[in-house]
Amino acid sequence: MPSRKGLQVLKRDYQLWIMILPAIIVVLIFNYIPMYGIQLAFRDYDFSKGLTGGEWRGLAYFQQFIDSYLFTDLMRNTFMISLASIVLGFPAPIVLALILNQIRRKKMKQLMQTTVYLPHFISVIVLVGMLNVLLSSETGVVGHFMKSIGLGHINLLASTSTFIPVYVLSDIWQHCGWNSIIYLAALSTIDPQLYDAAKIDGASRWQTIRYVDIPALVPAIIILFILSMGNILSTGFEKIFLMQNSLNLPVSEVIATYVYKIGIVSNQFSLASAIGLFNTLINFVFLFAMNAISKRASQTSLF
Amino acid sequence: MRKKVTVFTSFVIIAAMLLSGCGSGGASNKASEAAGEASGEKVKLTAIMTKHPLTKPLKEMEWLRQVEEAAGVEIEWQEITSDWGQKKGTMLASGDIPDLFIGPNVITDADFAQFQGLFQDLSTMLDQAPNVQTMFKEKPETKLIATQPDGKIYGLPKYQRFWPSSAQRQYINQKWLDELGLDMPTTWDELYEVLVAFKEKDANGNGDPNDEIPMDWPGGIGGYFNPAVLLGSMGVTLSDGNAEGYFVEGGQVKNFLIDDRYKTMVAFLNKLYKAGLINKEVFTHDYTKFQSVARGEGDIAKVGFTWGWVASDRFGEQLAPQYASMSPLKVSADYTGKLGWSYDHYNLNYGVNHIVMSAKTKHKEAAMRFINEMYDPKVGMQVLFGSIGPNIKDNGDGSYTVLPPAKAEMDPGTWKWTSTMADHGAFYIPDSLKLTLGKDMQEVLTQSEPLKEAQEIDLDNDIFPALFIKYSTMDNNILSLNNTNVMNLADSSFAKWVTKGGIEAEWDAYVKEAQKAGITQNLEIMQKYYEEYKSKQ
Amino acid sequence: MELARTRAGKALSGPRTGGKDLVFKVVLGFICTVIFLLIVYPLYFIVIASFSDSTLVSTGKVLFYPKGISFFGYQEIFKDARIWTGYRNTVFYTLFGTLVNMVFTMPAAYVLSRREFRARRVIMFLFVVTMFFNGGLIPTYLLMKDLHMTNTIWVFILPFCVNVFYLIIARTFFENSLPQELHEAAVIDGCSHFTFFFKVALPLSKALISVIGLYYLVGHWNDFFTALIYIRDNELQPLQIILRDILLSNQVFAGGAGTGGDGGGYAQRYADQIKYGVIIVSTLPILIIYPFIQKYFEKGVMIGSIKG
Repeated sequence: MPSRKGLQVLKRDYQLWIMILPAIIVVLIFNYIPMYGIQLAFRDYDFSKGLTGGEWRGLAYFQQFIDSYLFTDLMRNTFMISLASIVLGFPAPIVLALILNQIRRKKMKQLMQTTVYLPHFISVIVLVGMLNVLLSSETGVVGHFMKSIGLGHINLLASTSTFIPVYVLSDIWQHCGWNSIIYLAALSTIDPQLYDAAKIDGASRWQTIRYVDIPALVPAIIILFILSMGNILSTGFEKIFLMQNSLNLPVSEVIATYVYKIGIVSNQFSLASAIGLFNTLINFVFLFAMNAISKRASQTSLF
Repeated sequence: MRKKVTVFTSFVIIAAMLLSGCGSGGASNKASEAAGEASGEKVKLTAIMTKHPLTKPLKEMEWLRQVEEAAGVEIEWQEITSDWGQKKGTMLASGDIPDLFIGPNVITDADFAQFQGLFQDLSTMLDQAPNVQTMFKEKPETKLIATQPDGKIYGLPKYQRFWPSSAQRQYINQKWLDELGLDMPTTWDELYEVLVAFKEKDANGNGDPNDEIPMDWPGGIGGYFNPAVLLGSMGVTLSDGNAEGYFVEGGQVKNFLIDDRYKTMVAFLNKLYKAGLINKEVFTHDYTKFQSVARGEGDIAKVGFTWGWVASDRFGEQLAPQYASMSPLKVSADYTGKLGWSYDHYNLNYGVNHIVMSAKTKHKEAAMRFINEMYDPKVGMQVLFGSIGPNIKDNGDGSYTVLPPAKAEMDPGTWKWTSTMADHGAFYIPDSLKLTLGKDMQEVLTQSEPLKEAQEIDLDNDIFPALFIKYSTMDNNILSLNNTNVMNLADSSFAKWVTKGGIEAEWDAYVKEAQKAGITQNLEIMQKYYEEYKSKQ
Repeated sequence: MELARTRAGKALSGPRTGGKDLVFKVVLGFICTVIFLLIVYPLYFIVIASFSDSTLVSTGKVLFYPKGISFFGYQEIFKDARIWTGYRNTVFYTLFGTLVNMVFTMPAAYVLSRREFRARRVIMFLFVVTMFFNGGLIPTYLLMKDLHMTNTIWVFILPFCVNVFYLIIARTFFENSLPQELHEAAVIDGCSHFTFFFKVALPLSKALISVIGLYYLVGHWNDFFTALIYIRDNELQPLQIILRDILLSNQVFAGGAGTGGDGGGYAQRYADQIKYGVIIVSTLPILIIYPFIQKYFEKGVMIGSIKG
């Protein structure tokens, strides 16, 4: 019986299978086949014996990372930076999309949209170079501005207390517009009848945002939020590395920069794999937890 | 129904297209390899060169064409200017490597140890390379550098002979001194007085008494052009970049980061900083700004006292004449001990693993012929300075002269890097070769004069011979891990102490912390290798 | 179509709520102006810095208008002959790559949005896992080598043509913008999944397609890592690799700091000015396409009325 039922389902769904099969095949080949490499985190890397031939070391490399001198600092810094990025950086594109969606003049709207998405294309090297020039306490625009409002010489780039704000705000500056595109697209699918209905109910524009626009964004918001929780330990490397200096080092040393500095990039494949896997596991736990919470609370979930 | 069919076929077509694409790509690769072997005459080789970003395409180098011709090879070059570390890891681990590598430490000793069997042991083939043998005979230390602990030779070094014994020179604005009627400082106290005068008076004479920056450096402690050279005032001789603070004194490996003399120096720097004598942005400016500031505005200089490679590079052609190169300062007038500086002779004149051969290459003899040609003395100078003709003049009497840049607006350094592999190449320049250097190198040598006395060093007991020491993979990893931890602590403490003070109170706790972070372990490891090295001499 | 939109807009600013809306408009205008200036100034700065004297730029002398104008940076960029092959390659990889991306992603996203598709949770999980776990670069490289894809154009097109992140976004869109009733009605009319996907789902999702398309497009455009690892042949290098090479030279000077008698003032200035020029050269082409895509955000507004 079950097999016949299964056959029926298959007959019903065969078109769906055809549509999804190419994606599955590609993912199986290019993402799953190389996964045997994960065991490198538990083995020595031995070139002559191949990737999977080195001696089994169990959790030794994880232990090495956890025991390392800077481990607690690294974890704290990494968490703080990504937490700040999520708390401030996640809502920003939503708000921006709502604002842009309110602009009625078509030309204005296009100009604004194009402008806000431009910074996304600036490479990290140039962005950090620009921060150096513009935020300089002596010669930068921001330095001049702060002097003129009486804040004096605060070197934004050189303090442990300003590193995270500068990092997060410049990130928002750069990617907020780009990230808002997805929300703008979501807003554009709203049924105009809903606006008409709101009008009939005498809703102000503020109320329309509150009761029409925001609910339309909720599914996208939830999904993207779950995904962002899965990045809790991934701070990226290049920007932090380039923004580091001796004065902000106590808060700016994160897992990614540390891994780079101990020379793992070129040689210590096993330790690098172990640290990577450690990150991944924590990220995955966060994602899983968030997904479960969301499934209970809103029936929206990834899987 | 027709719709279904079209969709389905379109998938099939795409799939087929992709598959055939992969297939044909692979097939054509193989075909070209086969063709390479068949076309007898010239042997085709592949090579990677990690070159400087300024360097022009290798194809355009006349001397290289001649070298390939002479060796009977035709090399397909892959030229890499960035991200080599990242590329290398995957390339080596996959075993998918070209026949030859050229570049500064292009494959490291650690790589040789890790990727056993991937690289050709050249020690068995030296009879095919008389020029390399000559180098080993005339400069035995080059053989020492090249030889791994197990006696094998995977990478050959370069020797470029002409470079000075220190990478760093100390500059003060002589014009400002003259304007203000001051003498060249010789002690820290005098330096302090001079810097105060620079700050308070309108030293550059542009009417603004506040735009002078009395003292500046790139940012950290160790590494070139940073204030660690002031430790020389108390007898410490640094070597080869001293990025992590290690030095040797009387046969003992030490680290200045936990040395009392370092504490004295930091306290002095804090005194300067508090008095507003050090650039406020010293720990945050990037290299670009650091360089730009020192170039001043037109003929108005901005920086009073700093360190650099050579005046024309540090201050620009226009301002360079205002600056004088200084001897090391004494910590105080009554200091009678020896003065130290930074001894970088090995780092500047030698380089490890500049050329490496794959063990998998099918044409070992041909590759070796090419290597041998590279190490020909006459080729060597062209590798470093450019081809005879546009870059070097053959004086006809067996002597040669490096020509000034063909483009007037270029400085000689840039010209050299643009024209040829320069310092990144693999070559040997024997001490007997008669070559007159360009203006830039002469300037460096002249400006090194004031350092001469401090550079008379007991090489056996006061210099860490980093270049000659080969660590085991494990020790290498431990050293690098510990150094990262130590520098994390040291960098931030240094910056804090200079800008905010507090070293007196925090010193003891800091030293303990630094020892815990790995300095002690590293000193033990390095001492062990150092003694091993000395016992072999 | 235009009509419906303006009607909605007008209606909202109708007389009944006029006073409040005026405040709203003023606040909105103010916020937009602030955002605009905050974003435009640094962009403007990049433009003027790209043809100003780099010494003046880094010492903070160039703030509102260019100084010491020279087009040296641009000259150097365009002097590099590789730029043009780079452009050609990148345009090809981007267009072809995006096409393949869409062909693989969109149908899959549609399938995963169908609640009646039993395997969807399992497959979704299978996909999500790949966002986190991967075998690392070396096994991936070995796989590409075995498939003879290294040093070919295919390595840009095929390997990671399904981006799970975008797949999830697309699925969420399909779930929420294609009402269940619509599909049920279509099924009653004897409409198969293929027909529904092509005739209904895709036409109704132009906004989504343009967003995902744009994401993929820009991903390909900015991708240098693939070429960095898998491409050796200069003829196959994309624009970003070449620009990155040019750009990183600046970092090289910082690291080497003049030792060994290298790059003097000339080289330093070359590197500095170029870094701003590089941004302009690499960004302009992609700016051109944005207005075309933006159009579909507006059209998307009309989904409801088509349906109605």
